[in-house]
Parts: sequence; C-alpha cells; structure tokens
Amino acid sequence: MKQILLVVTLLALFATGIQAADLENRVVEHTMKNGMKLLMVERHTSPTVSAWIRFRVGSVDERSDERGVAHLLEHMLFKGTTTLGTTDYAAEKPVLDRIEEVAQALTAEKTRGKRADTEKISRLEKQLAALEADAAKYVIKDEFFELYSKNGGTGYNAFTSRDGTTYLISLPSNKLELWAAIESDRLQNAVLREFYTERSVVMEERRRSYDAAPESKLWETFVASSFLAHPYGQPTIGWMSDIENLTRSKAEKFFHSYYAPNNAIVAIVGDIDTKKTIAMVERYFGAIKPGKELPPVTAVEPPQAGQRRIELIADAEPTLIMGFHKPAIDTPDDYVFDVISMILGSGRTSRFYKKLVIEKQLTSDIGAFDAPGNRYPNLFVVSANPRAPHTVKEVEDGIHAELDLLKTTPVTERDLQRILNNIEYDEARRMGTNGGLAHNLTEYEATTGSWRYMTEHRRKIASVTPADIMRVARAYFTRENCTVGFITKKGSGK
Amino acid sequence: MKRLIIIICLLVTSIAPALGADQHLANPRTMKFPELNFQIPTAERVVLECGMPVYLLRDTELPIINMTAMVRTGSVYEAVAKSGLAGMTGIVMRSGGAGGAAPEKMDDELEFMASAVESGIDSDMGTVSLTSLKKNFSRTLQIFTDVLLRPDFSEKRVEIARSQMIENLRRQNDDPKEIADREIIRAIYAGHPLGEVATFGSVSSITRQDLIDFHRRYFRVDNMILAVSGDFDRSELLAKLNSAFPPEKNHSTLLLPEVPQPRQKFQGEVLYGRKDASQTVIRMGHLGLSKDTPDLYAVRLLDYILGGSFTSRLTMEIRTNLGLAYSVGSRFDIGRRFTGSFIAETETKAGSTVKTIGLMKDIITRLTKEPVSDGELNAAREYMINSFIFGFISPASIVTQRARLEYYGYPDGYLEKYRDNIARVTKMDILNAARKYLHPDAFKLVVVGDAAKFDRPLSTLGNVKELDLTLNIPE
Repeated sequence: MKQILLVVTLLALFATGIQAADLENRVVEHTMKNGMKLLMVERHTSPTVSAWIRFRVGSVDERSDERGVAHLLEHMLFKGTTTLGTTDYAAEKPVLDRIEEVAQALTAEKTRGKRADTEKISRLEKQLAALEADAAKYVIKDEFFELYSKNGGTGYNAFTSRDGTTYLISLPSNKLELWAAIESDRLQNAVLREFYTERSVVMEERRRSYDAAPESKLWETFVASSFLAHPYGQPTIGWMSDIENLTRSKAEKFFHSYYAPNNAIVAIVGDIDTKKTIAMVERYFGAIKPGKELPPVTAVEPPQAGQRRIELIADAEPTLIMGFHKPAIDTPDDYVFDVISMILGSGRTSRFYKKLVIEKQLTSDIGAFDAPGNRYPNLFVVSANPRAPHTVKEVEDGIHAELDLLKTTPVTERDLQRILNNIEYDEARRMGTNGGLAHNLTEYEATTGSWRYMTEHRRKIASVTPADIMRVARAYFTRENCTVGFITKKGSGK
Repeated sequence: MKRLIIIICLLVTSIAPALGADQHLANPRTMKFPELNFQIPTAERVVLECGMPVYLLRDTELPIINMTAMVRTGSVYEAVAKSGLAGMTGIVMRSGGAGGAAPEKMDDELEFMASAVESGIDSDMGTVSLTSLKKNFSRTLQIFTDVLLRPDFSEKRVEIARSQMIENLRRQNDDPKEIADREIIRAIYAGHPLGEVATFGSVSSITRQDLIDFHRRYFRVDNMILAVSGDFDRSELLAKLNSAFPPEKNHSTLLLPEVPQPRQKFQGEVLYGRKDASQTVIRMGHLGLSKDTPDLYAVRLLDYILGGSFTSRLTMEIRTNLGLAYSVGSRFDIGRRFTGSFIAETETKAGSTVKTIGLMKDIITRLTKEPVSDGELNAAREYMINSFIFGFISPASIVTQRARLEYYGYPDGYLEKYRDNIARVTKMDILNAARKYLHPDAFKLVVVGDAAKFDRPLSTLGNVKELDLTLNIPE
C-alpha cells in the first residue's frame, strides 16, 4: 500500500513542467538582416562562454563527384584566412594557385589508371612537393588554434555529419569578441592552404576510423546498403577514392556556395549580456552578404521490397546491426519511434536489457537509436554483440520477438510515465553545461527548423498512445523493410 | 565644380576609416580584453558524526542534486590470480541488488524516478555516484547508501557480470588500437599490479564470496569522502547524511595493504602484434613521474609543447606538415598514488610505419637536447593559466575536484598556487625535466599491424618480440 501511495504522489509531482518553460523563457533569439540566426542563453555559473556555429550543410548535400568534401572542407577551415595563418598573402597566393594547377594535373593523370604516364606522375609529384615547400615559407601554422588557446580557449573543434557542419569553442567570457573576430573573418576570407597535406590526414582518419576498425567498417557498409537512392547512404568522410580525387577548387566551390550567413545558426551560451552580444555579433557579421539557399535533396529512397543481409568477414567477434526505414525527425511517427526506442533500448528497465541481456543472456551489449541523420527519412537501428556461444541468428530472433510483441500487446501506462519522467530529468540536466545547451540549440534549430522542438518534445511524447505504438510497429517492423548487417569471424567456417 | 568633386572624394575617403573605427573590428592578433572577474570557487568541508569528510556546494540553478562517494580501494589491491575482482565488485554492487531490494525492483524504482545510482572501481579508487531530481533525493539517497554499504551481490547477477567480462575478453583483440593500448601499459608496468590484466582464468576463479569480502574490506564509513552539489538545503542535507552514515562502533581497524611503487627499469623493448590492417597502431613510452615532485609544473608545460595540443611538436610535424597521421600526441599521465607513465601514440598507414616511429623518437629526443623556444613556452603558459577556469564550470566538478585533492593527498593551496607555479617555469626547467623524464632509447615500443606491408623491417629498431594474440578460450 505504501508503495502505491508513493507512486501516486510521484505522478502528481511529475505533472509540473517547470524545466521546459524555463528554457522557453531563457533563450533569446535574434535573426540578422542577412539571415544569420543567433540563439543565446545567459548563465552566470562560471565566467565562461560556449559559442557554436552550425552550417545547414553536411555530406547529404554533396554531389556524387564531391563526396567527402563537406568533411574535408571542415578540416581546411582551420587553416587561416587572407590575414591570419600567413605572413604575406599577396606573395603566397600565386604559389597556391600554381599548386592547384599542378595538383589538378596530377589527379587527372592518376585517374587514367593503367594508361597513366608514370613519368609524368613522378615529375608532377616532385613539382608539387617543391611548390608546397615554397608555400610553407608563408604559413603561420594553425594560427586560429594558437590565438584561441593563448586566450584560454578550450574544446576548439568542429564536426561534420550527414545533416550539417558545426564549429565550436569555449572561452573565458571576457574573450568572446575574439571568437567574433576570428569566425567572421573565417566565414568571409578563408584560405584553404596546405590542402593536399590535409587530404592525406583525412585518408589516415579514414583508415583509423573505418578501414582498421571492424565494427565501424560494418556500420559504414550497412548504412550504404540501406540507401540505394538517397545520399544518406554515402559515408560522411567519403570512400577512399572519393578523398583521393578531391581538389582545393572543389572545396572552395562548396565553401562559396553554402557557407553564408543565411545558412548559419549561432548559439552563444554562458556568462554574457544578450543585448551587448547581439550588438557585437551584428558588428562583426552584419555586413556579410547572404548567399544562395541550400537546395533540398530531391532523391527519395524507394520503399524497400525485401530484407537485405550484409555480411562482413573480419578478424573480429560477431556483431549484429538491424535497421528499419522510418520517417524524418519531427513527424508524427517519429515521436512514436522515440517512445519505442526508449521502451526497447533505454536503461536497465528496457525490454532488450531485461529480456536479452538478463533473462536469456544472448547479448552483453544492446542499444536502439536513429541514424544516420535526421533531416530526411532515416533508420531505426538496433545493434548488439552476441554473447558466445550464442549466435547472430539467435540474437536476431530475440530482437524480432520483442519487436513483434509491440505489434500485439499494448505497452503499459507505467512504461509511458517512466519515459516522461526521464524526459523531464533530461530537460533539467540539459541546462547544466554551456556547450551541451549550445549543441542542442543549434542541432534542433537546424534539423527541425526550431530549437523549440526541445520544449515541445515532452508534450508530443505525452500524446503518444499504446495504440500508436502498435500501429507503428506493425507498419515498420516488417521483413521487407529490414536490413541486417553482421560480422562473421574470419576462419570460423560459418 | 572641380573643387566640389575633390571635397566629395575627400569625404568618401575620410568616411571609410571613420566607419572602420566606429565599428571597432579588432585584429585577433592584437586585441585587448576587459579583466575577467574570477575567484577560485571553494566548497565547504564538513565532517559527519561518523568522521566522514563531506564537501558541499549549493547551487540552485537546476533542481538536481549530484553526489559522489570516493572510496580508498582499487584493483591494485587484488591478487594476480583474481585479476578483475575489483572491477567486478564495482559492477555487481549496483547490478546485484542492495539493502534487500532485488535488482529488478531497484532498477525499476530508480528509473521511474529518473534517478541514477552507479558504482565502479578503477585502479586506485572506488566510486558510487548519485544524480537525482531534488524532489526524489531522499529515496535516491537511501538506495545510494544501500549500494555503497549493503550490496547483496545476487548470485545470478554475479554470473551475468562474469559472463559479460568473459565476452569482453573474447573481443579484446578485435580493434588494433585496443590491443596496443593494453600492451603498452602491460609493458611499462610489468611486474606491478598496474600492469596486470584480467584473463579467462582469473575471471573464472572469482567467487561471490570474493566480491563480498573485497567490498566489506574497503567500503566503510571511515574510508571514504563524499562530494555533494546542487539544489539542497544545507542543514536538512547534513541531517540526512548523518542518519544515513551513523558512526560504526564495531569496526575492525582499517587495513589498507601496502602496494610498492613500480620499479624504474629503463630498458627498451620492441613488441609486435600481428593484425591484418592497412594502418599500423604505434605506442611508445615508459614510466613517468608522480604528483609529489616539484618538477610537476615543468612537466605539464613540457607535455603541452611536446604532444598535448593541436600545435604541439608531434602534431605539427607528423600530422600538419607531413600528413602521416590523423591522431598523434603524447601524454605524461601524472601518477597520483603510483609513478605515472609517459606514452606517445599515433596510427599511420602500414607503408610509413617505421619512418613515423623514427620521426616521433627524433622529435622527443630533440626536447632533451635543446631548450624550447620563448614562443612555445609563452603559448603553453598562457594556455594553462588562461584556461584554468574551465576546471570550475559546474558545481559538481568543483566539489568533486576538492574531494579528489583530499583523496590523493595534494598539498593545501594546490589550486590556489597552480597558476603562479606554472608562471614560474623557465626554459631551463623544461629542458631539465625533459632530460630527467624522457628516455627515448628506453622506450617500450608496441606496434600492431601487418609487418609485411611496413616500409622497413621492425628489426631495424631492435630485437622484436611478437605478442601472442591467440585467446586460448577455455571450452
């Protein structure tokens, strides 16, 4: 009896909604004339500030002859501008132009494959090396980084995804103007110097992240096999041959096409005065001209008409990934999937954990999530490591059994309430760090059109019914809509 | 007319700089900033009736309370034949039920409240942590206390933890980076508990009674420190903590086993792990230093200059200039209880393996031969001093930091004097520290990859010992 009373009291308390409302009141929005969107939250916990810039352009926006360029460009944008990162741009520029001519000739000759003129290749390679050595005389290496770190900046970084590209830094709050000065310069005057060396760095990044990491290699193959038409299938870093054929000209074209204030969302969170911050950002970014709008991806993935099975034979223990096509973020069914993913895969009370890890002990590790992006229709993914001697097939069957149960048996009110309680906690915690909040503001503004997705989320989730879950499970968890990827251990003979 | 035009032109030209000046677009190289208003935040230290120290920091921005208990224990105290015992104890304290509540019931109650209680034991510390909405704190605290002091170690959950650890052992050679990271530590700490790793045999031999005994020996109110932050009422919280942790009258004397320091034996070694891969994983290093030496600050700057930043020498040369790697760097892991380590690491395509190893050794050696430049020293100093505030960005990090300083026995005023100590370091201090703590000839070198594709044989670097990567899984 005491237990029941406790539960009732908790439910009543959880019905408040202070956190979402709090965020709603604390975000200050400002849209500049050139289209740049500024989102700010004042937090005076420590004299620090995080500044994130998100560009609404990611690898999904690449054409097939420029795959990997969004990511390589992200690397290149750390190389300076016409005034930073160089001792004398006027003298440097002709050398950079000459490098580009030679590099393009070299790339073109190499693409001839067997018919390529090897003597010409080696001549061009020597020429390129000499020119790069010449250009190096003018370079001030990583000056952005140096300026930020001398001033106490930490976490200076960037990341590229299917959906977008983000540049981030945290600074002592008295140094925010340094961010405005550097980033406005970078947006207008970036110089992609040291391009071909950095291209080699990205090839090493690819080897490290995919080629020499079996689980990631399976992941890349699995996603590529899930999308035949839509560019969500192509890896953000690009295939090796894509990277080999990227040039500075291609990267510059991509930069000038899409890096414009109207494609940028800025979040500044921390020890700031929002009025003064708006004035400062206007001063540095206000005069930058808007660019063209990013065209939407027109490719539509045709409905999958049968199960796809992807095998990777590797020197590694078995791994399983299962994916089902589903609609993009912020669509009615997407909210139902959010609930499904929490019921199945979130925490020690989730069904996968209770059934497959504890009861049947088929797997040691299992999770459910959405991938590979959010702007366009994506995948509901389940990934698990079978626990020996159990096989991929046994785990796959166990997962199917749980998915099937969702089709036939309504989930309980208590399950749904637990989910809402956890969202409430997440809402409170989300306010806890400048960087975390800046991340969420830019991410949701970019993928859903408004950061208010966060404050609306709990209400949307609360409206999901047990019947919705059964309907969605029946519609999407079908054999036709399923892709299965797995690692078979090399030499296991199975 | 002509005159007028001239005037207009003058106006135009004079407006341009005026506009520029009006806009105050500063040059990042020379810009000046207002003073930063920053005092090092402190946390209140209170001693409970049972003698347990508690660090408190109240902050009401979020309706959340965070708490961590730090317990003097660690895998250094486990017997070699039982490697994995401490880690397993840390896992099952939480997963195996506590205070008479079955595991499923505890999971359900915590997750329904959106509270979390987690436990773990690493090499030299055990922790139990709590996060909770303010309104659920009392109940979450009860569960936290049960996990900390009264875990039940359910037989079934012990077996699940064991089988999961065994599954992880089966997978320990899947990723070449994981192999190299493990083997370099084993090589550096050979013969010391810090160099021991769990094996199929050791994990299989651990019994439930071992877990109960290990827990009972170390998890006691006279052997831990608490850190609490968030939206609490001070007197209410202290009353709750005093009732949750009453004085223990019948405790035996606390006995922490003596663990010797690792033996400094600088002797080079080349270890090779065969793995079919297009990229080679490289790790090299040896023993380092502990926090209790006055060289600490010189080493921190040396670390930043050599391999601890994006503009460090290793990154600049291997990545930025030569494009040989994506990730390259080095780190002195400053020992807190035991002598720490120095490890330099990278991954490069198979065809540039030996070349890259040579370059890294050269870069490290050069630091022992000539002083760093003024520019390098200033850049490192300014970064360390100006970014110091990021150690204090959340109430939880501030109290946890204070508790850790006491846990590891840092001297009073360590944080308060930190920036001055960094500012005092000279180029000669760094050169002396490099000579004292870097011995490239005595590096343990671990190379994992496909030797058939290397640019030169590994044997040009010394006698190669091949690592046995067969798993020998018991049936």
